[in-house]
Amino acid sequence: MAELQRILYVEDEPDIQAVAELALETVGGFTVKICASGEEAVRDAEAFAPDLILLDVMMPGMDGPSTLEALRGIPALAEVPVAFMTAKVQPSEIEHYKSLGARDVIAKPFDPMALSDQVRRIWQGAA
Amino acid sequence: MTPTDAEQALTTRLEELRSRYLERLPDEFAELSALQGRLSGQEQDRDVLDELQQRLHKLAGSGGSFGCASLSIAARSLEQRIGAWLEAKELSLDAPTRRSLMDEIEALSRTVPERPERPERPERPAFRVAPEARTTSDSTLEVWLVEDNAELCRQLQQQLESFNYEVRVFRSIDELKGAMESREPDLLLVDVMLEQGRENATERLMDSPQVQALECPLIFLSANDDFPSRVRAVQLGAEGYFLKPLDVPRLVNRITQIFEERRAPPQRVLIVDDDADLAEHMRLVLTAVGMEARVLASPNDVMDTIATFRPELVLMDLYMPEYAGTDLAGVIRQHEAYTHLPIVYLSAETDIERQIDAMGRGADDFLTKPISDLQLVAAARSRIVRARQLEDRINKDSLTGLLKHASIKEAANREALRARRIGRPVTLAMLDIDHFKVVNDTYGHAVGDVVISSIATLLRQRLRQSDIIGRYGGEEFVAVLPECEAEHAQGVLEDIRRNFASLDFGRKGERFGCTISIGMVCSAAYPDQDGPGLLVAADEALYKAKRGGRNQVQQGFPAHTREVTD
Repeated sequence: MAELQRILYVEDEPDIQAVAELALETVGGFTVKICASGEEAVRDAEAFAPDLILLDVMMPGMDGPSTLEALRGIPALAEVPVAFMTAKVQPSEIEHYKSLGARDVIAKPFDPMALSDQVRRIWQGAA
Repeated sequence: MTPTDAEQALTTRLEELRSRYLERLPDEFAELSALQGRLSGQEQDRDVLDELQQRLHKLAGSGGSFGCASLSIAARSLEQRIGAWLEAKELSLDAPTRRSLMDEIEALSRTVPERPERPERPERPAFRVAPEARTTSDSTLEVWLVEDNAELCRQLQQQLESFNYEVRVFRSIDELKGAMESREPDLLLVDVMLEQGRENATERLMDSPQVQALECPLIFLSANDDFPSRVRAVQLGAEGYFLKPLDVPRLVNRITQIFEERRAPPQRVLIVDDDADLAEHMRLVLTAVGMEARVLASPNDVMDTIATFRPELVLMDLYMPEYAGTDLAGVIRQHEAYTHLPIVYLSAETDIERQIDAMGRGADDFLTKPISDLQLVAAARSRIVRARQLEDRINKDSLTGLLKHASIKEAANREALRARRIGRPVTLAMLDIDHFKVVNDTYGHAVGDVVISSIATLLRQRLRQSDIIGRYGGEEFVAVLPECEAEHAQGVLEDIRRNFASLDFGRKGERFGCTISIGMVCSAAYPDQDGPGLLVAADEALYKAKRGGRNQVQQGFPAHTREVTD
């Protein structure tokens, strides 16, 4: 199984971007690229060639689900596992997001010290 | 950098991010207050509430990552309340509601702690979360069997596959361990004696951390009833220990039962507490372990909420400003349908006399605040389990776990009425085991019981979760299939009939098979019949199947159409 190395994180809030970058790069040792919007992700994702994509659900402009749909349209990214990040974690919502093609859902707020482990577990489940 | 330096650097960086976040918070709170100030109590509040909701959603999603877990919880509670208002058809927030919203928005700033709080981890509670039920009736469940006796393997495999389980066979523990590297089965079935008795599986498995961490149920089979192996099985968390010669139908029943327990619907808890933060916290804790929890919005809605949410437990704060918990419990108990609903009080009160007084007025127990998350979950879980057991004892047949005669009749009636109301057909089937008396007379009642519970297992397995099944009489069963066309029902019932015929029953080496006759009717063919009428028609169709030579499915049609078609 290939190692999880490259993570694309799509998130519009600067505070969360910063803490996620720290959590994934420093704690997890991953290579991380942050995109501030769904549009930016669709533009830059293929060139970055991520192993895993984390998508915030609620973003202005393209939200998480529509970004996922657009990313799935890019052949090189069609198979890359995607997890949603959201502050709503009702079981029914998790099922809904999974039905859209997400591998998993990460609850916000996340614990910066635990995020990398969580991401790694999702990756192992998906691989 | 040494690890400690690295940790130090990380902590420093996290602190920096946190202070930056905290610096921005006062502006955010001011924005929220300003928005709240624009509320007028009219329909045009919708846009303002939308914006408020979005901002609160962001706070809920970020606070905990910056050491402000209480802020997250408080913001989430507000967000949800606003969401509920927005869902209502008409929007009119009266002055007291707006005032309390103002108070709570102002209170947000007070939730920000001086020192970082331990982050909330709803996805990783400190206690073990019940494994999420992977099982639905649509997906095939995988049973892994570790057995080196080829004949027993073949027999088990055939029987388990008749019940729609997928079986994967391993000859040794090493083979099993190899496969477990990549995935886990839904259930593991292990023979204790392997390698012609040279290897004891319970011993081998005790040494394996992989097996210790196993989430799926484990069952042992053994030719020897030795105590040390049984104890090791318990220590390994085994859910069953079956002695050879194997009673395969009983084993299959046990397996099905285990899966059904895991598939049980989430436990429902209603929380009544005027402390919104605490209530929300309890809701999150219970939700995190897979329960469905709801906070009562207003005491006046208690009966409506109970009727729609159908809680299996009410957690009730004893002292609330408007009404006492005992008053609300009294109101609940006035309704006959809810006399058995467990009510547990939450209270900081340690005065034993007041608790006894409250117990005399309809409470089941007390939990004294502050209650730990673990204790809350354990208390709620065990009470609901007990309540469900009691409910089952009342409504269900003890041998098969299916509904009793009266309950299935009631269900047939209810579904026939519903079918007419929604304009979708319901199909009723009546099933009867062929020559069952001969089985009982030849092999005894114990074997007869196994035959009966096997058909029950098969019905539960092959029908949808929304279908309703009951034991109508001794060897007679009724299945109610809502929103199911005759053609589809016929296919499913044929499948059940065939599978039942392929099962092997036996006692002390003697083997025999059994068959079943089935009569079915679809409400589409009987537009004027109610539940009892459809049952009579299904009984006639069953009679037709018996007369036609048994081991078959017959569909019933009203007399006049038969005259036309015959």
